[in-house]
Amino acid sequence: MKKPTGKVVVIPCSGIGKVYGALARETAYELAERVRPDTILLTCLPLVVVGDEQAKQLVTENPVITIDGCPMKCAHKSVESHGIEVAQSYQSISFYVAHKDLKPEGVTELDETGRKLAAVAADELAAVVDSLAGKEPK
Amino acid sequence: MSEFLETTHDKFVFRVKTGLYYSRDDFWVEIQGDQAVMGVSDFLQKVRGDVAFLETMPMATEIRPGEEAGTIETIKATYGIIAPVTGKIIEINPEMESSPYLINQDPYGTGWIYRIQLHDRVRDQAELLNAESYMALMQEKIVQEMGNK
Amino acid sequence: MMDKALIKVGIVSCSGEELPEGTLSRLACRKVLDELKPGTTVTICLPLFIAGGEEERNFTAKFPTITVDGCKKRCAQRSTEALSGKPAKSIVITEIMHEKQITPPVRRRNLTEQDKIVVQVVAEELAKAVDDVLEGGE
Repeated sequence: MKKPTGKVVVIPCSGIGKVYGALARETAYELAERVRPDTILLTCLPLVVVGDEQAKQLVTENPVITIDGCPMKCAHKSVESHGIEVAQSYQSISFYVAHKDLKPEGVTELDETGRKLAAVAADELAAVVDSLAGKEPK
Repeated sequence: MSEFLETTHDKFVFRVKTGLYYSRDDFWVEIQGDQAVMGVSDFLQKVRGDVAFLETMPMATEIRPGEEAGTIETIKATYGIIAPVTGKIIEINPEMESSPYLINQDPYGTGWIYRIQLHDRVRDQAELLNAESYMALMQEKIVQEMGNK
Repeated sequence: MMDKALIKVGIVSCSGEELPEGTLSRLACRKVLDELKPGTTVTICLPLFIAGGEEERNFTAKFPTITVDGCKKRCAQRSTEALSGKPAKSIVITEIMHEKQITPPVRRRNLTEQDKIVVQVVAEELAKAVDDVLEGGE
């Protein structure tokens, strides 16, 4: 396991065909922009996969959380296939399973309920982020 | 003979496993003596989307063809598990409670739903379609469902 | 020559979570897929394509592709070239912005009405590229 650096990289799956891809992305944005803006670093999955030096350095040096939108688990598998350890891996469908009252809709952009679900999921991931970053929970 | 019959629509590949029987409601049945294992066809799981919740019937429930024997909920829709045979549920896939997504990942394998004690195997089998016949039906359904998307 | 009625075009969009141009790319691509050119375009999920997704690989082996990238790193184009040969067209959002002297969005989500006009402009460019490819142009 990597030593905490005070930062955590989040990589959502990038899917553009399903609501769960949009949910994965929105959850990542919630973490990066609202819940833990000082801790979260966001990078594009394809950048990591094509071997971009900056992106590779980011995921090599810091703990990585992947959020996938479908059972193909592209984000998780792609990161691991580059020899990079994934500290925590999620499938966004599990956020919906845990909060059945918040049914997300929309493929390009989530509806209001979907955005609410992403916000709830991001709040729930905050403790994991703090722990990986080596910070006291807020 | 290969394990699957296949057809492609746009980028999507739809598979029909050979050696199984199929209902017109898109459920597969593997007959094993006087028992059968059943699950969702590749076509049905693809067009209905990723499974979030699965509600099964209790053990020992008697089922009859065409009747609902549980529900599957995806983000797109909730649809019934339509019994393809007559019999009694004697086993429910234990993985389904925690991992219903197996229906999407491996519909003809680890994504099976029920094992059923058959009451009238000969009659049920006569009503079901073999892989080739189901393939033809599925191709019609693909056009209806996906049209020119 | 392939029967024109059977030709479809694969749209490979960069996911671009890191940049507003990535969001622009995704939204413009979905507009083309769902509204401007439904029936003749198919979405190719870039991470799945890279990870070896059978359906994405088979489709791109048979049909022409258009790549749409949010930045000059051109992940979609580079990946497509490596995995299925030269794309029929390669579009880079920043170049369209420059050519048309449009200010790109500054947010990665919750785009403004003005941003949505920019999405429409990019989508129309992409739709023209689809027509070009379907008519056999390069």
